[in-house]
Amino acid sequence: MASTTTIAQQKKPERSLSPWQIARKKFLRNKLAMISSVFIILVTIMSLSAPFVANFLSPLPDVTKVNIGSMNIQPNGEHLLGTDKSGRDVLTRLFYGGRISLLVGFSATLIVISLGTLVGSIAGFFGGLVDNILMRFTDFVLNFPFLVFVIVLNTILYGIVDGLWVLILVIGVLSWGGVARLVRSKVLAEKENEYILAALSIGCSPWKVIRKHLLPNVMSTIIVQATLIFASMIVAEAALSYLGFGVPQATPSWGNMLSSANEPDVLQGKPWIWMPPALLITLTILSINFIGEGLKDALNPKSLR
Amino acid sequence: MLKYTIRRLLGMIPMLILISIVVFTLAKLMPGDSLSGEIDPLNTNPEYIAEMREKLGYNEPLPVQYFDWITGFLQGDFGKSTRFKVPVADIIMEKIPNTLFLGVMSLLITYILAFLMGMYSGRKPYTLGDNAIAGINYIMLAIPSFVAAVFAIYFFSFHLNWFPFGGSVDILVEEGTLDYWFSKLHHVLLPAIVLGAMSTASYTQFLRNDIIENSRKDFVRTARAKGTPIKKIYNVHILRNSIIPLVTFLGFDFAALIGGAIITETIFTYPGIGQLFLESVTSRDYPTLMALTMLLSFLTLAGNLIADILYGIVDPRIRLD
Repeated sequence: MASTTTIAQQKKPERSLSPWQIARKKFLRNKLAMISSVFIILVTIMSLSAPFVANFLSPLPDVTKVNIGSMNIQPNGEHLLGTDKSGRDVLTRLFYGGRISLLVGFSATLIVISLGTLVGSIAGFFGGLVDNILMRFTDFVLNFPFLVFVIVLNTILYGIVDGLWVLILVIGVLSWGGVARLVRSKVLAEKENEYILAALSIGCSPWKVIRKHLLPNVMSTIIVQATLIFASMIVAEAALSYLGFGVPQATPSWGNMLSSANEPDVLQGKPWIWMPPALLITLTILSINFIGEGLKDALNPKSLR
Repeated sequence: MLKYTIRRLLGMIPMLILISIVVFTLAKLMPGDSLSGEIDPLNTNPEYIAEMREKLGYNEPLPVQYFDWITGFLQGDFGKSTRFKVPVADIIMEKIPNTLFLGVMSLLITYILAFLMGMYSGRKPYTLGDNAIAGINYIMLAIPSFVAAVFAIYFFSFHLNWFPFGGSVDILVEEGTLDYWFSKLHHVLLPAIVLGAMSTASYTQFLRNDIIENSRKDFVRTARAKGTPIKKIYNVHILRNSIIPLVTFLGFDFAALIGGAIITETIFTYPGIGQLFLESVTSRDYPTLMALTMLLSFLTLAGNLIADILYGIVDPRIRLD
């Protein structure tokens, strides 16, 4: 009797890892994704800390004020990345620009994912007429040339709503179609499972089934999609600001900073003004994409790594 | 197949009507109206303006105005540009060849690059070269096109002086001569490379995976058993099978090129419809804006349709119904 208890004590049944723990382990082992995560965290910290560190970065902490005395200064000890054509410090603007770019990217992603998930899960779960109507509407949204309508809508709403939120709303509202289709197809596959039938048969309301049973199971797809959309929303903001239809010119964002490259003189002779934002945008997009790929790998139960 | 195509074509009609209503509403919501382009700008007599408003139908109820616009539109009357004071159709027709040229060139570059890279990767999968190609493609896919364009102008136009940095043709050369066409080609090359090289990733990976998959099939084993040289198997037997599915990407590219054209044309100051569109927004040239938005929406729709139909033609296993 005594011997059996010792055996039981020695061989404590080990709890197997939960799917999320497995995913985390896989993600932590992915070097590229980890480096990218560290980079994104650094960029986020940099952006969030902008108002607090602006005084230490340069003698010109105000990013909106035009300083005639210090225009187009090359990088030196005082201005680490130089100043632009209005005499504003490039490094400080880079810090502040990150706030806007990340804020627009994050908020627009939130809108896209919420709308897409809502429409996709309702269409997939209820099927029939509801599905038909919602998906035709999705087709309609998907068939708009994105840039064309963003630019037109932006021009109309400009001045009615605060510039930044116009942009977030417009790019958010016009790009949820892809997510809706994806979520719908996942929900269609998932709802055939017995556990959904079981949940329905014990009297769960459709909303509860969607919320508690369906969505957790399509979550991994949504998370991966959200990462990739985050990257594309940052690109959209930068591209629109570059063209002059994005964030208002006075607000520093990476796209706005890059738009000074529109002047041949700046593009050719003053690369310190446009190169830092260009590189930062590229690195951020690359990192987010690597994180997305890493998440896709980590959340896929079939991948062995 | 024919039935499906006809049904899809008919399905486009309500979509186009809806889009036209949206476009009209948006144009009406924008500040100002297109009256200023139709009247004599020197005559500021309020009676004259009121008379012209009445004559041109700006006092009609909105549905009537919409109906007037859409019937004119269907008959090819896009209105008169408020900026250039000439029919919109003329301006668009003037700019479209440039955009088409850019689009075709960039597609050509995409195809050539993707073809070479995909062939190599498919023949030698999991080697250093294959990984390098995958890496390069991934990075090109991630870099925003406008950032790439700015860097391309900086290095290739300003520092190396290989390409001109704007416009579609040298103003000094005479139209119609051989020099003229060379100048045109020279001007379109850099934007086309930027636009084309950025989208090779999906083609390359598709071709690679398809070649690998096909190389394990029975017909390849038969060919090898009969002593066909490996080179011939890859270049003739496998390639023929792998290249057809690539056609399906064409339709999607069509739609993607439109968005790409707006950005690339603006950065390279290339006079095409993308640049015209942005100019019409900034200068509040509504007739041009409406016509272009309709045109671009139609092209996007058509691109998606072509993609779907090609899908069915190329792979008969996909049932379209």
